[in-house]
Amino acid sequence: MAAVIECRKLTKRYRGTTALTGLDLSVEAGQVFGFLGPNGAGKTTTLRILLGLVTATSGQAWLNGRRVPDPAGLARVGAMIEEPAFYPWLTGRRNLDLLALSGARLPARGEEVAAALDRVGLTGVADRKVKGYSQGMRQRLGLATALLRQPTLLLLDEPANGMDPAGIREFRTLLRSLADDGTTVFLSSHLLAEVEQVCDQVAVLQAGRLVDQGPAAALATARTQVRVEVDPADRDTALALLAPWAARPDGPGGVTVEAADGRTVNEVLGQAGIWAQQIVLKRPGLEETFLELTEPVGGGHAADPR
Amino acid sequence: MRLIRAELRKLGRPLTWGVAGAAAVFCVLLAVGGAHNAALEGSTPAGHLPSCAELGVPAGQQCTRAKAAERARVAQANAQPAHVAAQLNPLAAGAEAAGLMASLPGALALALLAGAHIGGEWSGRTMKNLLTQQGWRWRVLAAKLISLWLAGAGLLAVCWVALAAAGPVLVRADHLPAAHQSAAHALGLAGSQVARALLVLAVFAAIGLLAAVLTRGTIGATAATAGVIIAMLVAASLPGTGRWTPATWVQDWMGFPAGQASITSLPTNFWSRFISATAAHGELLGLLGLAGLLAACWAAATVLFRRQDISG
Repeated sequence: MAAVIECRKLTKRYRGTTALTGLDLSVEAGQVFGFLGPNGAGKTTTLRILLGLVTATSGQAWLNGRRVPDPAGLARVGAMIEEPAFYPWLTGRRNLDLLALSGARLPARGEEVAAALDRVGLTGVADRKVKGYSQGMRQRLGLATALLRQPTLLLLDEPANGMDPAGIREFRTLLRSLADDGTTVFLSSHLLAEVEQVCDQVAVLQAGRLVDQGPAAALATARTQVRVEVDPADRDTALALLAPWAARPDGPGGVTVEAADGRTVNEVLGQAGIWAQQIVLKRPGLEETFLELTEPVGGGHAADPR
Repeated sequence: MRLIRAELRKLGRPLTWGVAGAAAVFCVLLAVGGAHNAALEGSTPAGHLPSCAELGVPAGQQCTRAKAAERARVAQANAQPAHVAAQLNPLAAGAEAAGLMASLPGALALALLAGAHIGGEWSGRTMKNLLTQQGWRWRVLAAKLISLWLAGAGLLAVCWVALAAAGPVLVRADHLPAAHQSAAHALGLAGSQVARALLVLAVFAAIGLLAAVLTRGTIGATAATAGVIIAMLVAASLPGTGRWTPATWVQDWMGFPAGQASITSLPTNFWSRFISATAAHGELLGLLGLAGLLAACWAAATVLFRRQDISG
């Protein structure tokens, strides 16, 4: 499959702060791609570079096969960056209409605007001024902006912020239906449960560096641990036997190892005449995996440079 | 064109209507004061010339010169009512409106609109939306500049309409004499000044554009634009700067009378009264200077904006 987003050694430095360091990333067409990372990890900076809003200090990026920044490459790209902002003295419909007028020509502008509003469930309040919108309604309007040009690629930055549970559910359904229609979705989010449910692939960013990438489920599976309970007298022997699996003591008779299943662990111990009293498989969720990947040594997350 | 339409629609906001209303009120109040002043000046008794003793000068050549000056002053005062009546003619009022908009009132009005219309895209964090729809940054700037310039032209039209409506009423109320000027002459005068004012408004808009790109905010853009305009006037009054200041180019291009000569019952502008030098260097220099300034502001704004990170 062709990559619709490609980043090579992408680096961005703001005055004295490095927001992104040598990011290598590839997103294939038709995927729902989750982009995770704590505040200040460089997610929004990456999106801004891809959209030509910010210039990379070094490295290269391609969007739909075009070297960034290339305004022509944005023709079928829908984007929503951070909290979307609008002209408060205009209605939601008018705001959307102005954005439709500002870009490439839409043959049936009014209909496209109405369809986008309908898709995000804003038709009923479309003729109210935006200054009266709640944050959730603004998020929906931002999503409508991104959907305006029937994009083949959607770049979304924290799109579900401020949405109520029903809104989040609708949003999840919308993303899946878009993906089913062949739209590639690049989703930066803090809502790990959402990402886990919706995304095919996930990349985790920490302090401007990519720390892991892969299928959402595989990312967690790779960190599966096995806890073996043996007789306390045998614990040190078990630790030595299981050293190749990064064994570490876990309680008086407990040993925890990094392994995908308990069978191998049990076999190694059994061959040495040590019988496991209990074997527990610990499979972390995406949230635990995320925290493990992004927790810096000494605890706490990096400060937010952007 | 679609981008310009979008920008013009954004200008349909309370601030724009407020500025237009304020411009209309300002023009009408100025006309009310001007008509009243002219009526008072016109009531100066003609025919009586003060003696040398009354003028406080000894008889002889000095007294003759003083009497001639006094005679000219009285003649000018007596001519004021007819002159103001001519200025307030509905067609000729276009020249008055053009003079006001191509000077300090127009500059300050455009500074306000530049702040909100261009600087506001950064303050309101809407620039990122706009640039994700329209990635060609120079097009965004061009649409901003043209729409701001059209807003300035709109303010001029509002002022003209207000003066055209109020003028005949004021002439009648203050018993000013009928102005003997043909409609063609009045329209020719207005057309010429309006056309000239459009270039000056474009320069004011370009200064506002550059200020917005540099300051990236509503307040910064408004303050910087107003500051630059005032600095232009201050620079023009400095000895030795003479013909090389933008304020002088505006004065030359618009044909504003210099210094005290610009202060009449109904002033044609709020610009040259701040410039003490009689700097008549010709309209060609004014045209070239203003065109150069417009091009320089546009070029600087596009170069800066092309490289600017939109991080808000």
